[in-house]
Amino acid sequence: MIQVGSEQLDVTWFLGLGGALFTLGALGVLVRRNPLVILICIELMLNAVNLTLIAFSRQIQNLDGQLFALMSMTVAAAEAVVGLAVLVEIFKVRDAEDVDDLSELKG
Amino acid sequence: MALLGGFGVVLSREPIRSVLSLVLVMLALAVQYLLLSAQFLFAVQVIVYAGAVMVLFLFVIALLGPRREMPSRRLRFQFPLAILFVALLAGAGFGLLQGIHLRTPEKADLHVFGSVQQVAVGLFTTYLYPFELTSILLLVAAVGAIYLARRE
Repeated sequence: MIQVGSEQLDVTWFLGLGGALFTLGALGVLVRRNPLVILICIELMLNAVNLTLIAFSRQIQNLDGQLFALMSMTVAAAEAVVGLAVLVEIFKVRDAEDVDDLSELKG
Repeated sequence: MALLGGFGVVLSREPIRSVLSLVLVMLALAVQYLLLSAQFLFAVQVIVYAGAVMVLFLFVIALLGPRREMPSRRLRFQFPLAILFVALLAGAGFGLLQGIHLRTPEKADLHVFGSVQQVAVGLFTTYLYPFELTSILLLVAAVGAIYLARRE
């Protein structure tokens, strides 16, 4: 139980929310066809993992989880930058609105 | 609120709506961080994610122009397969959450826990090398993005 204001809140709720968001992100990566939206869904999954890390960090009163979440935020930002740059480059070469159009490496 | 935004990310057909729903998710998660007494990460989440990364996504969408997503012509079997996989994942997560009994945390000083000072002490003593490595990672990412975006 976590004291939030005057109420007690179980950390399981945070874990459930993180799991649900991760599942939604995985569904998006698998179902959506636009490469941009797939990147967005990957960001969603990374955020869900961050929430889980911070919830456990709060639960066991250990700051390492928060620091690790900070590192993963950095990695997510770098991944977004490089992924978007590659995406813009791909769109310059050809008009691909479906990731299945990119299944070959030919330029 | 965050779940609603998550559904918005996955279900909306136009990328711009996905991005705006993701901003909603980020802000809702930032509030969750504050509830979990992670003040520093709350600020970082709002600035870096809801600010920088989302603006980047919006710029790219503005660059590429609006395009609606059409249903795929190929790989029809992929959709039910994806639903099945995600249902399995959700079931596994739910089952894991059913069985846990977490002990009550010891009463720590919540005015200190997660404050900027404590995060900084952890970051610059125990985790100094990973911290420096993230700076190198960011540098490499910036150089790579510039290399990819330059004109020939």
